[in-house]
Amino acid sequence: MASSGLLLALGLLVGISVTAHAAPLDEPLKPLPPVPALDPKRVQLGLRLFNDPRLSVNNTLSCASCHRLDKGGADDKQFSTGFDGKPLEVNTPTVLNASLNFHQFWDGRVDTLEEQVHDVVVSTAEMASTWESVVKRIADDPGYVKDFKAAYPDGVTAPNIQSALADYERTLLTPNSRFDQYLLGNTDILTPREKFGYERFKEYGCIACHQGVNIGGNMFQKFGVMGDYIADRGNPTRADEGRFNVTGDEMDRQVFKVPSLRNVAMTAPYFHKGSAPTLERAVEVMFRYQLGREPQKNDTELIVEFLKTLTGEWEGKPQ
Amino acid sequence: MTALRRLGLAFIGLLLASVLLFMYVNSGAQQAASYIESRDLIRLLKQQDAIWDNEVLKSRIALSHNYDPLVSPLHEMARLWQRLDAIESEPGRHAPSLWENQRDEYLKAIKEKTRLVEQFKSRNSVLRNSLAFLPTVEDDIQGQFAQLSDADKLQLQAVAVDTYDLLLSSMEFAQLTTREIAAEVLLGLNRMDVNKERLPKELRDSVDILSRHIALILREQPRVNELLAGIEAVPVSDHLDGITSLLEKDQAIAAGKYQRNHIYLLVFATVLALILIWLAIRLMRSFGEIKRVNNALQTANDVLEQRVEERTRQLKDTQSELMDTARQAGMAEIATNVLHNVGNVLNSVNISADLVSRKLRSSKAIGLSKAMQLINEHPDDLGHFLTDDPKGKLLPGYLNQLVEAIAVEQQGLIDELAQLSKSVDHIKDIVSTQQSYAGANSLLEPLVVSELLEDALRMNSGALTRHHVTVIKEYGEVPRIMGDKHRLLLILINLISNAKYAMAGVSNHARNMTLRAEVVNGDTLQISVKDEGEGIPEENMTRIFAHGFTTRKEGHGFGLHSCALAAIEMNGHLTAHSEGPGKGATFELQLPLKLAEGEQ
Repeated sequence: MASSGLLLALGLLVGISVTAHAAPLDEPLKPLPPVPALDPKRVQLGLRLFNDPRLSVNNTLSCASCHRLDKGGADDKQFSTGFDGKPLEVNTPTVLNASLNFHQFWDGRVDTLEEQVHDVVVSTAEMASTWESVVKRIADDPGYVKDFKAAYPDGVTAPNIQSALADYERTLLTPNSRFDQYLLGNTDILTPREKFGYERFKEYGCIACHQGVNIGGNMFQKFGVMGDYIADRGNPTRADEGRFNVTGDEMDRQVFKVPSLRNVAMTAPYFHKGSAPTLERAVEVMFRYQLGREPQKNDTELIVEFLKTLTGEWEGKPQ
Repeated sequence: MTALRRLGLAFIGLLLASVLLFMYVNSGAQQAASYIESRDLIRLLKQQDAIWDNEVLKSRIALSHNYDPLVSPLHEMARLWQRLDAIESEPGRHAPSLWENQRDEYLKAIKEKTRLVEQFKSRNSVLRNSLAFLPTVEDDIQGQFAQLSDADKLQLQAVAVDTYDLLLSSMEFAQLTTREIAAEVLLGLNRMDVNKERLPKELRDSVDILSRHIALILREQPRVNELLAGIEAVPVSDHLDGITSLLEKDQAIAAGKYQRNHIYLLVFATVLALILIWLAIRLMRSFGEIKRVNNALQTANDVLEQRVEERTRQLKDTQSELMDTARQAGMAEIATNVLHNVGNVLNSVNISADLVSRKLRSSKAIGLSKAMQLINEHPDDLGHFLTDDPKGKLLPGYLNQLVEAIAVEQQGLIDELAQLSKSVDHIKDIVSTQQSYAGANSLLEPLVVSELLEDALRMNSGALTRHHVTVIKEYGEVPRIMGDKHRLLLILINLISNAKYAMAGVSNHARNMTLRAEVVNGDTLQISVKDEGEGIPEENMTRIFAHGFTTRKEGHGFGLHSCALAAIEMNGHLTAHSEGPGKGATFELQLPLKLAEGEQ
C-alpha cells in the first residue's frame, strides 16, 4: 500500500515535471500543425505530377523545376525561367508550408492551392499549357489512368489533377525547426544569442507582420511603409504594383502578401523581385522601409541568427 | 364478372398506393429537417462572424499580435456557407430570385468585410508598431537631450518640451481621433520640422524617425478607425438575419403545407380505417357464414351419429334377443334333459308300480280266501274236517305254506315300494336341483368347480347309470372362482350328455367318461370332458359347433352351438379334439381364471 502510494507520488512528480518541461510557450508565433492525414493514393499521385514536365506546354518544366525541395522549396535564382527560357516577373516563393498561407502568390490573387496550380499551368509565362492538353497527356499514360481510377471515382480530370497536386503540397510541411521545439517548451534548444535575436525581432516590430503559425503569410502589407523602396531600388515594373494588379484599388498599390519566414535562410534571394541577395540585406531593408528604424549595433546579426532557427525538416532532414 | 371485379380492386389498390406515394413525396419532414440544419448553420455563421469581429477588436487594442485568428473564421464561414448554399440553393425551396438576392447580398457583404479586414490588418499592424515605438524613440531623444551640455540643454529646453508635447498629443490622438487633436499633432509636427534645424546631427536623425512615425500615426489612425467603422457597418449579420427571416417565412409556408398534408393524411388514414373496418365486418360476416355452415354440418353429423347409434343399439338388441333365444334354447335343452331324466326315473317308478300291482294281483292272499271258504263250508265239524277230511287235513299245511308265501310276497312288495320311494326321491332331487338353477341369471358368483361338476353329473345320473357309464373324476387343485353358474352348468350338462350318447354304441369295452378340471398357465381354467365313444370324423370337426348340426336322429343341433356361444359370452372358448371315428373325443372348455374374493 505504502509502496503503491509512493509510486503514485513519483508518477505525479514525473508527470508534473514532464508537463512543466513540455508546456508550450504563449507567443505570437505558433509551431507548425501536424501533417494532415490525406488519402495516400492522392498524395502519391500529386508527387508524380509535381515532378512531371508534361504539365508544361513543351514538356520542359515541372513544378519541381522551380520549387526544388532540396533548395528550400524554391530555387536559388532571382527569377526562375518559364517554358520558353525567359525569366519570370517575380521571384519564386517556396512551396514548403505554402498550404498555411492565407492566399497564394506574391499578390495573393488566389485563395487555394488548387487555383494556384491552375494559374501556373495556364500562365503564358510559366507553363503556358491548357488543361485540355494536360488532361490528354496524363490520360494517355496507362499508369496514371490506373492510379487516378484508384484515387478518384471519375479518373483523370483537371480538377482531380489540381486536387492531387494540392494534396501533395499540403503534406509539404517542415516541422521540428529548432524554434518550433523552443515554442513547444524545449527552451534550452536556442542559444542565448538566438533568444536575444527573437527578442529583438519582437521589439523592433517585425512581429507586427511576421506572426502566426507560418510566421507571415496571413496578411497583406505595403512594401515601403516608411519609405519608397521600389523607387529607391529603381527599375519599377508592373509586378511592383503587387495587389493593385488584382484589385485595382489605389490602397493596394505595392501591397504584397507578407511572406512566411519559415526556412527563410534557405530561400535567398529575397523579396518579390529577389532584390536582396542575403538575409542580412533583407533585414536591413525591412528595418529601413517597413519599420522606419535604425537597428542598434549587432541587432541585425542577432535577428539573422534567430531567423536561421526557423529552418525545419523535410523527410527527416534539415532543410 | 370476376375479371371486372378484380380489375376494379386492382384499380382501387393502385389508387390508394399512388395517393400514399403522393402524400409521402409531399410530406414536409425533409423540409423541416433541412430547415433546422440551415438555421443551425446560420447560427454558426453568426457565431463565426462574431468571433471575427471580436478578433478584429482584439487586434485593434493590441491584445493579440497574431493575425491567424482573423483568417480562420473566414475559412470556417466559407465552409459553413457552402453547406448552407448547397441546402438552400436546391430548386423549389424558395420563391425564385428571393434566395438568390439574399445569397448575393450576403456574398457581397462578406467580400466587402474581407477586404476591409485585410486593409485593417495591414494598417493596424504598422499603426500598432509605430505607437509601440513612440515611447522608445522618445526615450532615445530625451536621453540624447540629457547628454547635451547644460548650455545647449537650456537652449533646447523648448524643443524637448515640444517633442514631449507632440508625443503626448500623438498618443491622445491614437485614443481620441478628433480633428482638433489632429490639427494639434500636425502643428506639433511642423514645429518639430522647424525646431530640428537647431538640433545637432544625431538628434536630428532621431527626431526625423519620431516625426515619420507620428506622421504615420496621423495618417493611419483615422484610416484604421474608418476601417473599423466600415467593418462594423458591413451588414453580414443583418444579411444572415434576412436569410433567417426568409427561411422562417418559407418554413412557415412549408409548415402550413405540412399541416395541410397532415390533414389530408388524416383524411386518407380515416378512409383507410373505414375500408379496414368494412373489410373486418365483411370478414366477420364470412366467419359467421362459415360458422353457420359448420354448425349445420355439425348438426347433420350429430343426427347421423345418432342414427348410427340407434342402429347399433338395434343391432345390439337383436343380438341380445338372439342370445336370449339361444339361452331359451339352452334352457329348453336343459328342460329336455331334466324331463328326460325325470322320464327315466318315472319309468322305473312305473315299473315298480306295475310290479307291485302285478304282485298284488297274483297275491297268495287269494289262497287264503279259498282256505277260508273251505273252513266256512264246515262250520260245525271244523275239527273233523281238519282232522279227517282229506281236503281238511291238507288245509293247515297249505295255510302254513301260504303264510310263508305271503311273507315273501310282502317282503317283495316292501322292497319294490322302497325302490319306488327312492325313485320318487330321485325325481324330487332332479327337480329341486333344476329348480335351484331355474332363476339363475348371468351374474358372476363364487363357485367351487368340483361342486359344479357334481351337480352336472347328478342331473345326468339316471341316464349315466342306465347306460352303465363309469365317471372318472380327475379334479385338480382349482380355487374358488367367480363364474356364471347357469352357463357353466349348461355347457357341462350338454358335454356330459353328449359323452354319454357318444358311448351309447360301445359294447366292446367299459364306458368310461373322464371329467377333468385344472388351472393352466396360472390364468386359465380348463375343464375337459373325455369319452371313449364313437369319436368325431375329420370332416365334421369344423361343423360340430354350427347351429343345426347333429348326428343324432332326435337331436336339434343346438346343444354344442349354444355351449360355444355361452363359452364366448364368458370370454372363453370351447374346443373339440378327436383322434378320429371310434377313438373317442375330448371337449375342452377354457375360461379366463377369475378368482373369487379371498382366493390366492
